[in-house]
Amino acid sequence: MNADAPAHADAFGVSHVGMLRKENEDHFVVATLRKTLTLKHTNVGTSRLLNAASVPEALLLLVADGVGGNEGGGEASSDAVTAIVEYLALAAGCFNNLDVDHEHEFMTKLEVGVRLAHQRIAAVASQGESAPATTLTMALLLSPRAYIVHVGDSRAMFLRNGRLRVLTRDQTLGEELMDAGALTPEQAARSRFRDQLTSALGGSEMTPSIGLVDLIPNDVLLLCSDGLTKHVSDDRIASILGQAANAEQLSLQLVVEALAGGGTDNVSVVVARILA
Amino acid sequence: MIQKKVCMVGVFGVGKTSLVQQYVHSRFTAKYHSTVGVKIDRRDVDVDGDAVTLVLWDIAGKDADEDIPPSYVRGSHGVIFVVDMTRRETWNELPALRALITGTAGEVPMVVALNKADIPEQWKMRPDEETALNATWDVVRTSAKTGEGVEELFLRVARGVLGKPGATP
Repeated sequence: MNADAPAHADAFGVSHVGMLRKENEDHFVVATLRKTLTLKHTNVGTSRLLNAASVPEALLLLVADGVGGNEGGGEASSDAVTAIVEYLALAAGCFNNLDVDHEHEFMTKLEVGVRLAHQRIAAVASQGESAPATTLTMALLLSPRAYIVHVGDSRAMFLRNGRLRVLTRDQTLGEELMDAGALTPEQAARSRFRDQLTSALGGSEMTPSIGLVDLIPNDVLLLCSDGLTKHVSDDRIASILGQAANAEQLSLQLVVEALAGGGTDNVSVVVARILA
Repeated sequence: MIQKKVCMVGVFGVGKTSLVQQYVHSRFTAKYHSTVGVKIDRRDVDVDGDAVTLVLWDIAGKDADEDIPPSYVRGSHGVIFVVDMTRRETWNELPALRALITGTAGEVPMVVALNKADIPEQWKMRPDEETALNATWDVVRTSAKTGEGVEELFLRVARGVLGKPGATP
């Protein structure tokens, strides 16, 4: 799915059910946020008027992975995406005139959107016996800065000069046990705790992690569900993202690699290449 | 509530993230994770009856490949420089880091954390060097592991950003 992306990025997203699952509980979004002014008629010099009325546009990238095994995981990830898109559509002007004095207010709004999505999913859970939940990894790219909000074990990473850097840390029990020194990375990778989320939208704990990074031309930003990272190593991801190809080609190749590696889970990727 | 941006700055691996984790979440993990970009955390502080939210920008450490982007420190209200007392190069960088801050954010309150105070047997910082640092900087010995000095560190910078008595000049 391609987006009418801002001129500063080539972005694409794709999701696949995988080789074993019957349903795809992942959802993703690639969207442009802007407040538009369309000139109809004027006798003012148009370049002067356009400069005065110019508004920034932002690229929203989002991946949500419904928690497998929980009834309603797919609905949870869909609800999360919908709630955040609705919220950001209403708050689309919040990044206008964004400067250092208003940046924290803006980041707070992003976090509020995630908390509203959490509350919506939790409300559904309270009506039934199931406990739907979802991960969520979101990037709002307001060139050159990418604001990242992350919950769960989907990931955000970017490639710069051939080096892959992971922006998020998995919020899983396996990760916590590694931090505590109770498991080695190898043990954690094989452990049943690897997929056990300690934070999720709709879950009993929901602790969004907030971060940002300034991107430069030719950087490639990737958001993905764990259906990719279970089967494709960081080195291989770096190799693919480093290819001279557009975002659509890169996204599709990543999914193909995940499926070739086993495709045991739903797999979703969103790629944005920063243009010069 | 008033929000103030406080940047954590220093060479990679000095314990910036660990200090924030100890201060905000009261936890310490020995496993090292290098920060990519900036991690944002917050904590509300009461300074003599005035409430302020410190928005802590934990900025990826300076390393051989990359300097700290000035865009990350723009608009800072206060800065914490973190030094690892077991690694000499980490305090040798202080003048350059200070120049980066003053050139970008101006003369904002600055505090230096002398981190890893819990392992004196590994310190490379001599007493005369610490004395010299104390003469020119507002300095607090800290241990992200034990929590020593952590509250004091952030309270001092909070006082600074609010212009309270006892704050750094």
